Amino acid sequence: MSTTATIDLNGAAPSPTLVRRGGGAKRWARALARFAVRKPLGAIGGVIVVAMLVMALFAEHIAPYAYDETIRGARMKPPSAAHWLGTDNLSRDLWSRVVYGARVSVTVGFATIALGIAVATAIGVSSAYFGGAYDLVLQRVVDAWLSFPYLVIILSVMAVLGPGRLNLIISVAIIAAATNSRVIRGAALTVMQSQFVEAARAMGCGHARIILRHVLPNVTATVIILATIGLGAVILAESALSFLGFGVPPPYPSWGAMLSGSGRTYMFRAPWMAVWPGVAISLAVFGFNMLGDALRDVLDPRLRGTR
Amino acid sequence: MLKRYLARRLVIAIPSLLIASVIVFTLPRLIPGDAVQLMLAETSYAKDIDELRAKLGLDRALPVQYAEWVAHVMRGDLGESLWTRRPVLDELAHRLPVSAELALYATVIALAIALPIGVLAAARQDSLADYVARSVAILGLSLPSFWLATLLIVMPAIWWGWRPVTGFTDLRQDPVGHVVQLLLPAAILGIASAAALMRLTRGMLLEALRQDYVRTAQAKGLAQSVVVVKHGLRNAVIPVITLLGTQLPLILGGTVVIETIFGLPGVGRFLFDAINQRDYPVIQGVNLLVVSTVVLVNLGVDVLYGVLDPRIRY
Amino acid sequence: MSLSRREMLAVSGTALVAAALAPAPARAQTPRRGGTLSLRLWDPPGFDHMLTVSYKTNIPLSFTHSRLVKPKAGPAIQPGTFPLEGDLAESWSQPNETTYVFKLRRGVRWHNKPPVNGRELTAEDVKYTIERFMTVKGNANAYMLRAVDRVDTPDKYTVKLTLKEPNAWFLDILASPMAVAIVAREAVEKFGDLKKPEAVIGTGPWMLDGYRPNVGYTFVRHPAYFVPGLPYIDRVDVTVDEDNASRIASFLAGKYDLGWENPGIINRTDWVQIKDSLRQKRPNLKTAEFAANVMSHISMRTDQKPFSDVRVRQAMSYAIDRQGILDATAEGVGIFNPPGVPAALKEWSLPVAQLGEGAKYYKYDPKEAKRLLAAAGYRNGFPATMCFTTYGSTILVDSMELVVKQLKDVGIDTKVDQKEYGAYAASCLIGKFDSMTYGPQTPFLDPDNFINQYVPGEPKNQSQINDPVATDLIVRQRRTFDPAKRREVIHELQRHLAKQQYYIQIPSGIYVAVWDGALKNYGPNVGYDYGGRLVAAWLDR
Repeated sequence: MSTTATIDLNGAAPSPTLVRRGGGAKRWARALARFAVRKPLGAIGGVIVVAMLVMALFAEHIAPYAYDETIRGARMKPPSAAHWLGTDNLSRDLWSRVVYGARVSVTVGFATIALGIAVATAIGVSSAYFGGAYDLVLQRVVDAWLSFPYLVIILSVMAVLGPGRLNLIISVAIIAAATNSRVIRGAALTVMQSQFVEAARAMGCGHARIILRHVLPNVTATVIILATIGLGAVILAESALSFLGFGVPPPYPSWGAMLSGSGRTYMFRAPWMAVWPGVAISLAVFGFNMLGDALRDVLDPRLRGTR
Repeated sequence: MLKRYLARRLVIAIPSLLIASVIVFTLPRLIPGDAVQLMLAETSYAKDIDELRAKLGLDRALPVQYAEWVAHVMRGDLGESLWTRRPVLDELAHRLPVSAELALYATVIALAIALPIGVLAAARQDSLADYVARSVAILGLSLPSFWLATLLIVMPAIWWGWRPVTGFTDLRQDPVGHVVQLLLPAAILGIASAAALMRLTRGMLLEALRQDYVRTAQAKGLAQSVVVVKHGLRNAVIPVITLLGTQLPLILGGTVVIETIFGLPGVGRFLFDAINQRDYPVIQGVNLLVVSTVVLVNLGVDVLYGVLDPRIRY
Repeated sequence: MSLSRREMLAVSGTALVAAALAPAPARAQTPRRGGTLSLRLWDPPGFDHMLTVSYKTNIPLSFTHSRLVKPKAGPAIQPGTFPLEGDLAESWSQPNETTYVFKLRRGVRWHNKPPVNGRELTAEDVKYTIERFMTVKGNANAYMLRAVDRVDTPDKYTVKLTLKEPNAWFLDILASPMAVAIVAREAVEKFGDLKKPEAVIGTGPWMLDGYRPNVGYTFVRHPAYFVPGLPYIDRVDVTVDEDNASRIASFLAGKYDLGWENPGIINRTDWVQIKDSLRQKRPNLKTAEFAANVMSHISMRTDQKPFSDVRVRQAMSYAIDRQGILDATAEGVGIFNPPGVPAALKEWSLPVAQLGEGAKYYKYDPKEAKRLLAAAGYRNGFPATMCFTTYGSTILVDSMELVVKQLKDVGIDTKVDQKEYGAYAASCLIGKFDSMTYGPQTPFLDPDNFINQYVPGEPKNQSQINDPVATDLIVRQRRTFDPAKRREVIHELQRHLAKQQYYIQIPSGIYVAVWDGALKNYGPNVGYDYGGRLVAAWLDR
């Protein structure tokens, strides 16, 4: 109930970012270069994120072994030329598992955020657009939802549906939907006050047309930023849930499970089993956050204070 | 004006609480397997299951159970644990102070880190100091808390044979030991939420510094530090308070990881164990408590808003 | 190859035990009273052992309650064996196959707590307890005493139990810390049940004093304990510590006097990591090694295709690289389990090598597995699911990953269906699943409770077995009172089961029991009778 108030009532001049069209590779490259110069941290974040995406997409080509392949005589070997990041207690190549782990993190992260943000956008935009009783009731449900200990929601959903990648995605997406819908509603409210929406209404455009053509495009920047930062949060959430026994179940190698499971069990004898998944998590979270921060500064000055 | 605003906020809070109470009640019951099945794990003979369920009152229709529960809650009775038969209220009375203390220390630590860094980062936007400060804060966030806790507990024991600061010391028995044991877990929690607060402080401050009246102040020749603190920070404080309010459910329910590792008898573990055991009265009691607290705190935050910023009209 | 290596390991396992347990040069020390022992245990899910099957309740109650008979304890007892002695019973006799008469000790006092207030224990208390055990709603272990027909109390100190049918294991069941700890009627009547800590009133060596959930509890010496002079230890401080990293750190720093896992052991994976540090930091630690009686297995729907075909089950057994699992999860140290009875119960269980015709299925032979699958009509294998819960154990998760991989290698494409424990307990654990389940079993101390899982209609019969030959042998051993002959029947059963492979047994580890050198006259063993093993132990510090 309060985050919204912050955004639209803090006295910031509502200046909705208009979506620019057109493109061309050159323009993109120039924009990227300018971004890198202006926001070096964001650029570093971007590089990390791209690296992670590449690992996830081409895991089969990058990883020298399958994630569950046991290599005879290579139990808990420290990092070496043969096994860059060492091997684990089940004689599996850690580099390969970290690479496949990126795929798990990326699927879980992107699916969760896609689902969460889609629902959040539907709630936020419709709530802002229709207002009145609809807004009031919907927002009360969101209030109730937000006031729950997140753990209860996630664990209850996971316990109902059973642990699993999809169910993890659904349960965390529910949280993401509630928290983000507030911010998106705020952004949409600002758009609603702008003259072009009023003009469209005056011209008698239908609801669908106004929402699709005018409101949605102008909250896109908000959505992109929320999504980027949210991705980092999901990766962290997955690792905490792994610790509690509700993470991505084996045999899929998730970074969270690698760190909280055998990584922690063998941390004295084979510290690399914990270090590399840990580094992967931290880098990914760092990357998404830095990229998100930079995008916020560049894309949408209005949003700079949220979250 | 303010009174009407408050009355409206209060009226809005009530349906939220009601909706929440229904969720509080139904959510745990959707989970497959109930306390009875768990009590009889491994050898559930069908006859026993039904009889025990009847004994615990779990066989009645859900609306009946809900009505009974609400009636009891109105009388201040949260019921007793299905497993240990301890009254939920008593147990909460023991645990709430632990969680509250932990949350308080964590918040103080988070603010102590976030405010100075946030102000610095905003005052020198896009400078090296800004980059370093933000990178450090976000790195702090990016370490999973269970991992940080593990390292902080295990490494001193390995290297120097230190006895880890786990286990719980009662405030009355040993006040110093009590506070000391909470500092490490509070710091870990604080570091995690400091990043969000820092980012918020920086953002709001940047926003505020761009306002006309701040520019006027700068034009008048006031020292930058005075401008930042007097005009900027005052505006930035409101959203920071808001964020603290919204972080409550996170802190109250989300500390289970830290409580488990450090052996603290807080609300988070109470809830976590209860979910695993399908201990409905406990799950309901804790949830109700957290939800009401959050609604009240948010109400308080809104009131604070109304006082701090006369422009607000909801 | 794996067989010979396994044998070697089994032998070296016993040798280790022998070495560790060989009495040190007899220093005639007199036991000393006093001191505080520090342990790590758990939050009990309620203190009423008749309303939960959890070891988290049964183990703490072994400090506070007595039974009629109990397994002997002390350094002279070989781990894995459980010779019985009287606890509350001074002596007992068996006039015929279905009648037992127990003479109780006189002057046994309850803990001096309201409402029992230290009165004397009588035969009525025993009768009340056994009847409550059999009839109270929600006692999942009630089946243990279902043979009991009648309890009579001819006089204040005599209890006569009449059974419906002979059961050679009856005394072992009475001695089990999972079954009948004697409770007082007044306590049940005052508190409704015995779930609350105030209701922990027994006749055992220690009394529960103060319980703080998630933090710990304390046992204090019962001054009127019925064995004069015992227990020697004045206080037992119990810490609840749910995180392994903090347990390791605490143990290194000397916080716990015994290994932190049940039964006073340290998991080998942890042990191997910290033993060098421990040698420096706690040089006077004592250790002993013996086989674990926790046995994990794959259960499957043998009443349905494809598992109804014995060749499929045999192929699965061939597919499992048991030594590989031990190497990866137990530092290569462990013991292969034959079907039915885990190897840890060494008086009863037949070593895998002696299983006869069925012994070969315990060899790792993926080629033979594929051949058998093809013969059964599954040339390309088949898809399957495996129900699983982690029990919070990374070792279990690791072994599950290997099992799944090994099944996949022979063409059984196994999807893991991981469940949260509660959902697992309500379904797969009691045989409600479609394909396969993987997990550990309750670690009983008698073979009978283990082989119950082959009896039709039992909830523990996860594999839905209905094999008249096995059922007949199970009933027969229950009626054979001569231990040597009974052992023969059990061995015959195991040889039969080895050919059938209704469950695919995974090897068990060898426990490392660890205790502080200051703890004297203590002998570790498997089982929940932690209190019983400490009652005559004393602290030299």
